[in-house]
Amino acid sequence: MKKIYRFMLAALLVTLLASACGSKTPGEGQQGTITISGAFALYPMMTRWGEEYQKLYPKVQFDISAGGAGKGMADALGGAVDIGMVSRDVTPDEESQGAYWVAVTKDAVFPVINQKNPVVKDLMAQGLTQEAFARLFISGETKTWGELVGKPEITDKVHVYTRSDSCGAADTWAKYLGAKQENLLGIGVFGDPGLLDAIVKDPLGIGYNNLNYAFDMTSSKPITGVAIVPIDVNANGNADPDEILGTKTEALDAIASNKYPSPPARLLNLVTKGKPSGIVQTFIEWILTDGQQFLSEAGYIPLTPEQLDTFLKKIR
Amino acid sequence: MSLMAITTKQDKDGATGQSGRPSLPVRRSRDRFAGRAFFLITLLPMVLIVLITLALVARSWPILRNNSLWELLTGQVWLPMQGLFGFLPFIAGTFWVTIAAVVLAVPPCLLTSIYLSEYAHNSTRTVMKPLLDLLAAIPSVVYGVWGMIAIVPWVHNTLHPLFDRWLGFIPLFRSDNPTGFSVLAGGIVLAVMIAPFIIAVTYEVMATVQQGLKEASLAVGATRWQTIKFAVLPHSLPGIVAGIVLGSSRALGETMAVLMVVGNVVKVPGSLFDPAYPLPALIANNYGEMMSIPLYDSALLSAALILLVIVMVFNIASTLILRRIMGRVRRAWA
Repeated sequence: MKKIYRFMLAALLVTLLASACGSKTPGEGQQGTITISGAFALYPMMTRWGEEYQKLYPKVQFDISAGGAGKGMADALGGAVDIGMVSRDVTPDEESQGAYWVAVTKDAVFPVINQKNPVVKDLMAQGLTQEAFARLFISGETKTWGELVGKPEITDKVHVYTRSDSCGAADTWAKYLGAKQENLLGIGVFGDPGLLDAIVKDPLGIGYNNLNYAFDMTSSKPITGVAIVPIDVNANGNADPDEILGTKTEALDAIASNKYPSPPARLLNLVTKGKPSGIVQTFIEWILTDGQQFLSEAGYIPLTPEQLDTFLKKIR
Repeated sequence: MSLMAITTKQDKDGATGQSGRPSLPVRRSRDRFAGRAFFLITLLPMVLIVLITLALVARSWPILRNNSLWELLTGQVWLPMQGLFGFLPFIAGTFWVTIAAVVLAVPPCLLTSIYLSEYAHNSTRTVMKPLLDLLAAIPSVVYGVWGMIAIVPWVHNTLHPLFDRWLGFIPLFRSDNPTGFSVLAGGIVLAVMIAPFIIAVTYEVMATVQQGLKEASLAVGATRWQTIKFAVLPHSLPGIVAGIVLGSSRALGETMAVLMVVGNVVKVPGSLFDPAYPLPALIANNYGEMMSIPLYDSALLSAALILLVIVMVFNIASTLILRRIMGRVRRAWA
């Protein structure tokens, strides 16, 4: 039965190709549904890729949902979806369970504070070092904003916020500070928008957000009410010009040129259970080649040619 | 319609009974069949509970084998990556939030039910009841968003400073968490969520207190309030307890709305203004990480098991208490 079906399909294709004078690209025969779930960070990009891919291959359907990196991983390994979007590193434990991954783009997590913060000027001028962040988020030694910028007369308490749901952003931020999500201190708020909202409402708050949540989509400035704390990468006690990220464009440049440290910059991965085949493989291959052109306008960072090469080899 | 007509016709044609109905043995066997079928369907939820419990025990087994139950239940450190699974902060968080919600919800709910059943005009009642029922139909994530937008800032800006200034010497109200994400915020959101259930049950019970009883009380010169106090309330006590139990059970398991406002910090709360981390929130927040850390899925399913046991024990205990109260009420009125 299957053979007859295939034969008929082939016959149909041959007729179609002949009648179209062979003007169409190969891969014409692609059809089926690709199911995808996972990281919020990758969701907007994936819907865009799905749309573009459908323009090329109208018979391929997409079913894309967002639910966090953990869900993407669990769904992909459990066979609930074809592709899981995972916005953090894939652990060896997950690889041993059959997780096969390639990176498709880059973004980053940014430390955010309220614009009305009592020491906002000092913070923007000095930046904060990795150790300073660790003293806030991991050990909790630093209690006041004054201590943080060397003005002991300011005794306003620091309100540390973190994500409550298991997610790539928290995992990446914790990794930057040499720890795991479970070690992050602070009030746990659900979801990227929730954490952002908490910071907007609390002048003494500090937290972290994904690139596309920290910056406004249209104005390219940080979301109204919050400021991005410069990371003092070289620890010279000053926020150097390329450490200050006032707009999304500057942030994208800093990540692409590796001036923004990694982590909190990170690769965004696609995970399949075992090496993919069929339309799933072709789709991921397309993302790593033609699909890369849509990244910049959507606010993501393309991979370097070497990286693309590595992952293309991995998927082929 | 047509099917029924055919059956009746067949019965008639079959000449099973003189009056045109099927004969007695046929009707009896149908009756028996119906009884058994309904019994089996009723049994299904019971079987399901047993199966769920067994599955949870089986999946939590790895962690129960590696750690003593006592250590798990009283441990305060939760670092799954290092293999430390202490459930006490989560169990304590569950009880803190639930108790806060019940304490906040019960008095206004009782007063509302009394008003609706004893004082209110018929027209008021027909408007108010559906509105109150509507509260129960709002999805919990909507309550969560409302909690984040309205309740958390209110606790942060108004309630906490107020309590800190006037009642700060009482440990229950003293806290160094000024963010508003707290037991109290969770309790307030939950109280609004469980209110329609408590009101629905208590109102029904008060409305069904015999009219004659109230009339007798009024006839001997009691005021309406005295009638409520001495006739209506004692008579509806079992129903009131049942309403509170129903509300509490719901509060124990409520997940999304609570997790959005409660702060999710793994620490046993010491005050109403401390953050808490209830068991359902633990499961919902970390479900996605189950695959990546050894023993983690087992730990989360143990959390589910603990929650199930808490709800079961609570329900059984309250059923027993209810029986005693009902016995006492019956004796008193016999």
